[in-house]
Amino acid sequence: MWRRFVWLCAVLCFGASCGGETPTPQDNRLTIAMIAKSSVNPVFLSARTGAEAAAKELSTQHGIEIVIDWRTPPTEDGQVQAQRIAQAVNDGVDAVLISCSDAAKVTGAIDDAVARGVPVITFDSDAADSKRFAYYGVDDIKMGRAVMAELAALMGGKGKVAILAGNQNAPNLRKRVEGAMLEAQQHPDMTVAGTFYHVETPQDAAAEVVRVNNAYPDLGGWAMVGGWALFTQTLLTDLNSEKIKVVSVDGLPPELAYIEKGIAPVLWAQPTYLWGYESVRLIVDKVHLKKDVPIINPMALERVSMENIREWAKKLKGWGFSDVPEHLLQ
Amino acid sequence: MLRSLIKSQQAGLLWIILLLGAILSLFAGSHPDRITGVPVNNFLNPYTLMQTATDASFFVIMAVGAMIVIISGGIDLSVGSVYALSGVITALVLRATGGFGGTPDVLVSGALCVGIGLTCGLINGVMVVGLRVHPFIVTLGTMWVFRGIAFVASKAESVLLPRSLTDTVKWTAGSDALYPIPMLVMLAVTGVGAVYLARTVMGRHIFAVGGNVEASRYAGLHIDRILIGVYAVSGLTAGMAAFIGSSYYGSASCADATGYELYVIASAVVGGASLRGGRGSAIGAMLGATLIVLIRQSIRTLHFDQNYEWILIGCAIVVAVVLDQTKQRLTERLKSEAG
Repeated sequence: MWRRFVWLCAVLCFGASCGGETPTPQDNRLTIAMIAKSSVNPVFLSARTGAEAAAKELSTQHGIEIVIDWRTPPTEDGQVQAQRIAQAVNDGVDAVLISCSDAAKVTGAIDDAVARGVPVITFDSDAADSKRFAYYGVDDIKMGRAVMAELAALMGGKGKVAILAGNQNAPNLRKRVEGAMLEAQQHPDMTVAGTFYHVETPQDAAAEVVRVNNAYPDLGGWAMVGGWALFTQTLLTDLNSEKIKVVSVDGLPPELAYIEKGIAPVLWAQPTYLWGYESVRLIVDKVHLKKDVPIINPMALERVSMENIREWAKKLKGWGFSDVPEHLLQ
Repeated sequence: MLRSLIKSQQAGLLWIILLLGAILSLFAGSHPDRITGVPVNNFLNPYTLMQTATDASFFVIMAVGAMIVIISGGIDLSVGSVYALSGVITALVLRATGGFGGTPDVLVSGALCVGIGLTCGLINGVMVVGLRVHPFIVTLGTMWVFRGIAFVASKAESVLLPRSLTDTVKWTAGSDALYPIPMLVMLAVTGVGAVYLARTVMGRHIFAVGGNVEASRYAGLHIDRILIGVYAVSGLTAGMAAFIGSSYYGSASCADATGYELYVIASAVVGGASLRGGRGSAIGAMLGATLIVLIRQSIRTLHFDQNYEWILIGCAIVVAVVLDQTKQRLTERLKSEAG
């Protein structure tokens, strides 16, 4: 037994030496660890497509090999994200691109990465108190305001509304709720029944909407600062477009049916593909071209309605979404 | 000591961990060091090894407590929630008081986390004994209650902890970015757990209760007191893990350690615990948790598609338990044949 143990240790040492000799062309290679919030959320898969497209394009343009190393946890967990940042730095990546599930949890890991010479950029959800060199994403307070303003316009500035808000821990969602509440105060004839949170899955979100509708029969509108509920089809039948109006963020393929049916006449879509595409471009500017980049890089929202639904559908298809309704592409 | 460990019940697990380590070292590849340019193995380097130990430490500290409950024939599903509640309440108290500065912060938060964990554990124990309800049901209920209290108290906010706590738990021991404290606490808790189970009268009583509760009762053991004690220890270790984890990451939230109870129970089971009670060890819990964390690490180090992570961990748990049971049956058969 003891002899076998010694042999195994010898193999371990041999492995270390073999591993050490494996050449990797680091001088000509830029490896970016991409850590989104959750790998089951389609918006982050679109961001990954954007990052990989930018990597391909910029590799050709600058004569280097840019690699996207996808390290997104299966479900949202700030602690796991912090662990993955540390692992990525240990594995020798050149930069980290992250959307923070819990800014407070990952700030230490981001600062450690920066201290060890690995620049970090945030997208979608920022860690403003960390040493990240830049953030790319929407202004969440403005986004919340835009959703509520649009809903107020649809409801003639009066009635009872509810806010659907997903995970309470996500700093970006908290800001969107804050923006929506600020905007609601501008409409004295509107009342907010409450802000409703849920586990960030489409089924949980849709179930929460139905529960709240039953509890508030006089509810006239939903301001959805996250789009999960409209990723299901059940609300196409459970919501009456003549009674309830919805304005939601995101404009993913499953949500387009809600525009067509008049339940959600307007979606404030984030071009999620650009999270990856623009962030990789900023990393290349900073790390490879040694340029100064702005700390805050705002992403513009796109207003999607029946007027431009076809153009938007074509964009989604181009960004790698496979479930875009075929009739909108013709 | 190493020789005796190799001959012990956990030897098989240790071999698997070493074999996985050897495979990872062989196939991990390398990257040049950012400063010296010298090639560094992607797995066998101090940073990755320390990070793996740190990731395992939070599970291990909780798993030692959970292992003691499992040996007694019970189960504690609330450890993740106890972790969240201990961290959140401690962070809120420190925020409300404005902190005490430096060492007092560390002492107060350590005492608070461990105290809250211990209280939660005592509540579990008293309910299991007093209500005569299966511990699965009791701890399933308290799992929701404790997390719910953390949720209401924190208003779902991630509460920052004073910097002095993070500085203490992320002490570098003179290195640039190696943080040995979580690993050292993990080793200390495992050591204390191993001695407690194997070398104390209380430890032997726990095995006796888990092995045959009726026989233990006839032997005059205070079953109720022992059961309350094991749940208290489980809560205490969860509180201790919360102190290390929350301090390390610098914040506490009600969502912390969600689902960790399953990893912790899996660690104990992979480490040789029998869910029927009467069998298990603290070192086994540590090795079980280390193996699970190492499997997670290997998926990233070897650049496998990480969507397969859950499948691999699930298979590893089933394979480990089946192999362990097969080994047990063979050993018993050989013993009976020899007898």
